[in-house]
Amino acid sequence: MKNILEIKNLHKIYLGGIHAIKGIDLSVKEGEFLILLGLSGSGKSTFLRCLNRLIEPTSGEIIFSGQNVERAGGKSLRNIRRQIGMIFQQFNLIKNISALTNVLTGKLGYVSLIHSLGFSRIKNDVNLAEQNLKRVGLIDFKMKKIRNLSGGQQQRVAIARALMQNPRLILADEPVASLDPATADSVMRYLGELNKKDNITVICSLHFLSLARKYGSRVIALKDGEIVFDGSPREIDEKKFKDIYGQEAEEVEIR
Amino acid sequence: MKKKNNVKSIIQALIVDLLFWVYILGCLSYLSNNWFEFKVEYRYIALIALVLTLLFFLLGDSIGRKIFYKSKKTFKKWFKSIWGWLIVISLVITFVVGWNLVEVNPYKFFTKFKNAGGITSGIFNPSIVGYKLTENSFEELRENDVPLIILEKLEYIKNKSYTTKKVFLKDLEKKLNENELINYKSSILKYAQKNSNMLNKALNALAETIFLALLATIFAIPFAFILSFFAARNLMPKTFIGNSVYLVIRTIATIFRSIEAIVWAIIFSVWVGIGPFAGMLALMIHSIAALTKLYSEQIENIDPGPVEAIKATGASTLQTWVFAVVPQIISPYLAFTIYRWDINVRMATIVGFVGGGGIGLLLLQQQQLLRWHNVGLIIWLIAAVVWTMDMVSAKVRAKLAEM
Repeated sequence: MKNILEIKNLHKIYLGGIHAIKGIDLSVKEGEFLILLGLSGSGKSTFLRCLNRLIEPTSGEIIFSGQNVERAGGKSLRNIRRQIGMIFQQFNLIKNISALTNVLTGKLGYVSLIHSLGFSRIKNDVNLAEQNLKRVGLIDFKMKKIRNLSGGQQQRVAIARALMQNPRLILADEPVASLDPATADSVMRYLGELNKKDNITVICSLHFLSLARKYGSRVIALKDGEIVFDGSPREIDEKKFKDIYGQEAEEVEIR
Repeated sequence: MKKKNNVKSIIQALIVDLLFWVYILGCLSYLSNNWFEFKVEYRYIALIALVLTLLFFLLGDSIGRKIFYKSKKTFKKWFKSIWGWLIVISLVITFVVGWNLVEVNPYKFFTKFKNAGGITSGIFNPSIVGYKLTENSFEELRENDVPLIILEKLEYIKNKSYTTKKVFLKDLEKKLNENELINYKSSILKYAQKNSNMLNKALNALAETIFLALLATIFAIPFAFILSFFAARNLMPKTFIGNSVYLVIRTIATIFRSIEAIVWAIIFSVWVGIGPFAGMLALMIHSIAALTKLYSEQIENIDPGPVEAIKATGASTLQTWVFAVVPQIISPYLAFTIYRWDINVRMATIVGFVGGGGIGLLLLQQQQLLRWHNVGLIIWLIAAVVWTMDMVSAKVRAKLAEM
């Protein structure tokens, strides 16, 4: 299958001098469900945000389906971003407006400012947003304000927002880290379904190995900004898991 | 390296000591001039200060040495060393000079209270109901069988207006005897015209003030709203242009805010003439600056998550502001704006004193005419409005905070 994403020698050095990403090379095939493992501070969030330039990479090359991401600017960057949905640990929805309007904002990359100001009155957009809310099972909550929804419901609204972009790739930054285990599994099930049915590539950072085994088709482990494991989730036994997490954890405790 | 540091700290110590002695000697010469009319020339002050500085520096114990260039002596407890007593002396001198400059006079405070009698009685007897015997009143009194002798006696207070009942009765007592008073007091009071001109006037002026404050706030909103986005650190790109725009707007807002509304009112009352328009302009300028600061700080406090998420959908910068920033700030903005209106109503009163129109101007006029009962009425009206605004705005803001 074709590569949807190719990353060559990616580096990120923050202003304070912290070297967060140290030369990552990675190719992601279309339709993969890629799980990112690694401790907090290992560079997972930075890595994901470099892919759609929410964080500017210091050097390296990112090719997203033939387009050069790190050299894109203005219109072409918008063009790339709108094809990449993103889901966050803290959901990052606008709390005091309705679920429907939040989903509608997924369409912003495709329309002009004037168009977007009249969103709620444009039938096609509203219909599409309602369809996406239906997919995540929240059509009855469309007029509810986000702050009145539970964590799991909020993350599903965020998935609907990402779907609104009609994305080819979804970046999920610890999407279930602030949810209880049962809700976490249901949110992951929605992501898995998108990956299988809609053939959307997913890159998802996680802390639960069980979820990684259940939904992932490939696992990457980061440690200090470098890839220390790349393979199928089945290859990770207890020992490998300890290599990624265990020894680090001891170091963290010393600190 | 160490030598360089030494030279630097010696100079710093000397400068501190010199400033200290200039200040002390300056204070002393002010006092000697005030008490004994003995003037000391500036050059002598400078010369003595220089001598004292060098003397204490060589002694190794002075304030400058304590701070910048320590010697053995400066490590002693404060009451065993010169620097400690120098500080004590300077504090005492400062207090004495301050007392003189402010003309503190406790004796006056306790013995001259009766000077404030006029305004105090005005406050307790505001002229809400006024009394005036007009042509009509006379007509009606005649119809009600009040004898002509009485009416003739009343002629001398015809058309004279009284702010309170007490004063009106006092004048009646001057001409009418006791019997006449008992028989006719009630009907005279009944038909004396009872509406106070001042109440009408004050209510009009008050409305002027409230609307003046409202317009100043409304006109300030669009300016402050737009400026606030450019004065928010988290929205401005961290480039040279972004930083300069941020700095320029913030600096101008700070300067404009530090100039009191009363100063703006003086400027505008010359510019557009005395009246409410000048007051409105003054409050508007001040409000723009204040709201820009409050608004932009609100933007800096928003949750950055939604901004990141909206950016990631491929939204343009303007779309990001509209969809991720505006919904988060709209209710605090409203709260601040109402609060500002509240402040503006209070400020409008003060601004009126220097030509900004409204109730402040009326208060100034009545105060200068020594009409203390009218002043009392105006003070009560202002208090009532400020109290109401304060309560309403607090209620509304509490509701907005829940949104």
